[in-house]
Parts: sequence; structure tokens; C-alpha cells
Amino acid sequence: MKNEENLAYFLNEAKTIKPRELGKKIRIAFLASSTINGFEETMRVKCFQKGIDCITYVADYNQYNQEILNQDSELYKFKPDITFLILDTRHILGEHFFSLYSTSSLNDRKEIVYTKHKEIQNICRKFDDNFDSKLVVTSLQIPNYSPYGIFEGENYGLKDIIYKINYELFNEFQQSVSQKVFIYDFNEFVSKFGENNIFNYKQFFSGDIKISTEYIPKFVNELMGYVYAILGITKKCIVLDLDNTLWGGVIGEEGFDNIKLGDNPVGRSFVEFQKRLFALNKRGIILAINSKNNLDDALEVIQNHPNMILKEENFACVKINWDDKVVNLQKIAKELNIGLDSMVFFDDDPINQEYVKESLPGVLVVDLPKDSSQYSQIITEMKEFDILKITEEDTKRTDMYLGQKKRKEFENKVADFNEFLKQMNIEVNVQKANSFSIPRISQLTLKTNQFNLTTRRYQEEEVSKFSSSDDKIVECVQVSDKFGDNGITGTYIVEKKNNEEWIIDTFLLSCRIMGRGVEEIMMNQIIEKAKSSGIKKVKGEFIPTAKNKPAENFYEKLGFKKENEFWVFNTDDTLKKPEYIKVIENE
Amino acid sequence: MSEKLYQIISKVFNVDSNKINDETSPENLDEWDSFNFYVLLDEIENEFEIKFDLDETLEIKNVGDIKKIFVKHGVRSE
Repeated sequence: MKNEENLAYFLNEAKTIKPRELGKKIRIAFLASSTINGFEETMRVKCFQKGIDCITYVADYNQYNQEILNQDSELYKFKPDITFLILDTRHILGEHFFSLYSTSSLNDRKEIVYTKHKEIQNICRKFDDNFDSKLVVTSLQIPNYSPYGIFEGENYGLKDIIYKINYELFNEFQQSVSQKVFIYDFNEFVSKFGENNIFNYKQFFSGDIKISTEYIPKFVNELMGYVYAILGITKKCIVLDLDNTLWGGVIGEEGFDNIKLGDNPVGRSFVEFQKRLFALNKRGIILAINSKNNLDDALEVIQNHPNMILKEENFACVKINWDDKVVNLQKIAKELNIGLDSMVFFDDDPINQEYVKESLPGVLVVDLPKDSSQYSQIITEMKEFDILKITEEDTKRTDMYLGQKKRKEFENKVADFNEFLKQMNIEVNVQKANSFSIPRISQLTLKTNQFNLTTRRYQEEEVSKFSSSDDKIVECVQVSDKFGDNGITGTYIVEKKNNEEWIIDTFLLSCRIMGRGVEEIMMNQIIEKAKSSGIKKVKGEFIPTAKNKPAENFYEKLGFKKENEFWVFNTDDTLKKPEYIKVIENE
Repeated sequence: MSEKLYQIISKVFNVDSNKINDETSPENLDEWDSFNFYVLLDEIENEFEIKFDLDETLEIKNVGDIKKIFVKHGVRSE
């Protein structure tokens, strides 16, 4: 992570990059009420640098209404995955922006809130109805000036009406069940960089540029969070060094009483950094430790230091030893069963940073500077953790990994694996997809790589469409055992092709769970359902990817027979079923 | 100073600085378009710590004109 390049760099780079057929692809459309030259160029380059092939469409200046309302528009033909609609206050308010009070009564001003918010709402709803794309709309900027000066702030004053329009939009789209329309808080961007910086009058008068050229790369960076989230390539795990990363100083040399953690300027910077990490952990980012230290010295701090915010239970995996950092990272990935490419590494030592970058290019290595006062800002500016919706599984994730740790310990204790499985008291709760589970099912299709037979990626609205279709079965399983609840960790989508055969479109299980018989239970559910519906054959494909080797022999193991590209199961045959698992069916 | 100016122009338009002279303009340099001209002005303002007036920016037809404004602002361009 380097300092942001300037716009000239992106404009020039954009001319040289070509799609590389990298697997990750996204189609992005830009609509705006002002000049947005430079946005798509910057976006393409940023995507390219992250290994994403990005194809863009930029609507003509101020044509967003027509593009969305007219079903013959170029935007429809383009079929975007995500559409950014960049609105601005001047455009939406028109003359009211300058002279709200002189031309209008209180009732008129109330009317402005109503009509303007409806105007934007209608566009969003129309989009929601007619496009498969996500739509991200920028909220309206609250200006830093009102002609009323310090008197501003009255009911339905200039700033107040903008607050109210934004509030209505947030309320309807951001906090509701809408799966496609999202409101980007533009004021977050403005408060980060300042209106006087991002708005340049000269550029505005010359070319209706409302985000100055200097700040375009920074703005596009904000939007990148949506790209990561839609592609499901957000980071899941932060791996942390300890000395000079979570506290100041070296515990092995300076000792418990002399490390810097709280109570002095440097110590405060580490406490604040830990608080940021703690908050991310609570919303689902896994934390792990990778530190060269004596285990006892380090644990003493983690367990007993009064200013230590992160405790042992916040870390899903701890590697405190004198081993190679790269080896430790690989072990952490293996133990947590996550890809190296979903990990972020924080280490203050530039040599370690370089070493990990060189050895494990998938890991995002943060260029942590020497100055710890910058750590908090660095982590709060990262867009790599963004997801469109936080599911219950996200917030419980660390508990699940700690349960996983206990399972491993238990597995090592019980000599016989079958005996271990029996003693685990595994319960599988099979449920039809519903509004509660659909976001999670989509998330699973986007993120699951290993035990995934077809690796078809589905956005929420697609899952939702499937689940309400009579031709498809969309179900998921919630798995629990004596060590806790794993949440919804498996799903399958079956297409009822005709009266003879069903086709398995999607079948996946989180890798934390695989190998304990849950996958057999899931397949049993499908076969039983098929049988009772008088279906003769259940067919499925295995589509190989770089990562789904663990699922390669699944069909064969269960007794499916290969016929051309399909694996076929005759429902007259019986499918083995692990008897030690209790199955609960919820309609 | 000319060298620094040429470097900026060369970086923004992605052209060899040898190709730049006082006569360089949107007419004879394809890479110079109306949008990256704003980027150029912004970069020059930051690098030379000056602010162009709006009407000055409108008068710029070629690189020589930028140097004329430099003289007005007391930036030594040679």
C-alpha cells in the first residue's frame, strides 16, 4: 500500500492496460450529474492492479435519468455488474442551493425535501426493478456554507433539508432489505479531505468538474470497496506482529513494565490501534498473531497487561515462536482454512514486510511506517474489509474459529476419527432459503473456493430469484456440535430440469466443516427429495478450479456414475448416510 | 525552470520531454486534451506553488503561454 498516485498517472496507465483474462471480471457503469472524466480510467487501473479485469461504461454528461428510465439505453445494453450514480447537491437543488430562504416558505422547503427525495428514490426504484446490477448512489454533500451564517440550523434550513433528503435515502435503501441499491455516504469523503480541497472553483467553472482532479483517485478509492465486496475478494483475516505493532518496544528486551501501551503518547497510539482491530474483529475480521518471541513473555502481556485491548479470545490463531514468518503465515492459513489471498499482514519491520511480499504475493502486506501514530489512520483507510452486508456469521466468526481450535484438540485426543465424529454430537439443520439466510447463501457462493463443486458466484438478488422460482430448490444447512454453532455453512441449488431428472447447479460447504459427513447429509437431502418427487436421476457437474481439489472425488465417493460431463445418481440406489449426525428439517 | 516545467508536461501527457517546446499545443500534441489540461494546471500550481487566475488559464494556447504567466507571477522559467 503506497501513497495514492496522482490522476495523470492513472490517465496514462489506463491507455496501456489490456484485459488479462484473470478470472475476476467486473463491468462498471458510471452515471453522473457533473463531469466525471478520469473516474473510469482510475477505476480500470486500480482494478487491474488488484488482478481484476474491469470493463467500464460512462454515460454522457447528465444523462442518468434517460439511461435508467429508457429501456433501450446504452446502459441497459452494457449490462453492468455495478453502477455508480454520482449526484451532487448543486445539481439536485438547483437555484435553491443559493437562495433557499428568499424564494420559499417553510412549507415550500418541506416540499423541496419531499420532491427531491422522491426524484432520487424513483430513479433508484426503477433501477432496482429493471437492472440486475447493483446501484451505488452518492448521498448529497452538506455544504460548509449557508447565507444564514450562524443562524443556519433552523428547521428546514439549507443544511437541514439536505440532511433530511439523505436521511430518507439511507433509511429506504441502506438500512432496508434492498439488495441492490446502496447509498454511499459522500459526506464521509468530504469530511476526510475537506470541501475546500475536493471542490475547486476554477475547475468547476471551466468544466463542471465537481470533484477536483487532484482528489479523483482518492474518491475512486472509496468506491473500490464496493468492487471488492461484489467480487467477494475482501480480506478475512489480519495477521499481526507483536513488538512495535501491537505495543511499543520489544517485550523480550524491555520487559512487561517498560513496553509502551497506554499512559504515554506512543502507548496511546498502540491502544487506539488495538481498539480499531477489536472493532473489526467484532464485526467478523479474524485476527491472528505471527511474532518472533518467547511465548511466555508475550502471553504474559496479552493476558495480564492492564491496557491490552485485544485478549487471547480475540485471536483465532496464535503463532508466537522463533520460526520463519512465512512458514507461520502458511500454517495460519492452513489452520484457519483460508486462502493466503484473504490475509492482511501487519508488521513494523520493513525486512519482514519485503520478505512476505516476495514469498507470498497473495498476502496483502501493509507498508507499516516506523511511526506508530499512523497505524490507526492506515487501518481505517483500508477498503479491503468492505462487505455489502454483515451477516450473523460474520459477527460470530472468531467464536467459531475458537470452537474449531477446541475441535482440533479434541480430535487429537480421540484416537479414532469415527469415534471422534460420534462424540462430536453434530447437528445439521436444513432450511429453505429465506430472507434471513439469502444474504449468507450469496456470501457463501461468493467466498467458498475449496469444497465447491461448480464455483458459481451468485449475488443476493439472484439467490432470491432462484428461491422464489418453482423450478429450483435453494436450501442451506446450519451446523452445530458440542463446541458451538458454526452458523450457515453449506448450501445447494438444484434445478428441477424435468420430470425425469434434477441437476445440481451449486453445492458447497465451508471448508471449516468439510470432512465430517455434513456434505453426505446434504446430498442425501437432495436425493431423498428427488426420490419422493418421482425423479429418476440426479445429475451434477464438477467444474475444476485452481482451488476446489478437495471436492474433486466427491461424486465418485458417493456412488455417482460418470456420464459425459455429468455425474449421475440413480434414485433407486441408496446413498450412504452418516448415522452419527442428527438432521433437523425446517420448512 | 523550463526543465521542471517540461518534466511536468512530459509526465502528465506521457510524452518525451524532447518533444516539448514553446510551440507545443493541443493542435500539435495529440496527448493534450481538454481534460488532462486541468490536471496539468493543477500539477503546475502545486509544483511551482503558484495559483493561476481563471482568465489566465483560458489564455493558455501553448507551452509558451504558460511561461508568460510564470513571468507575470515572478516564476523564473529560464
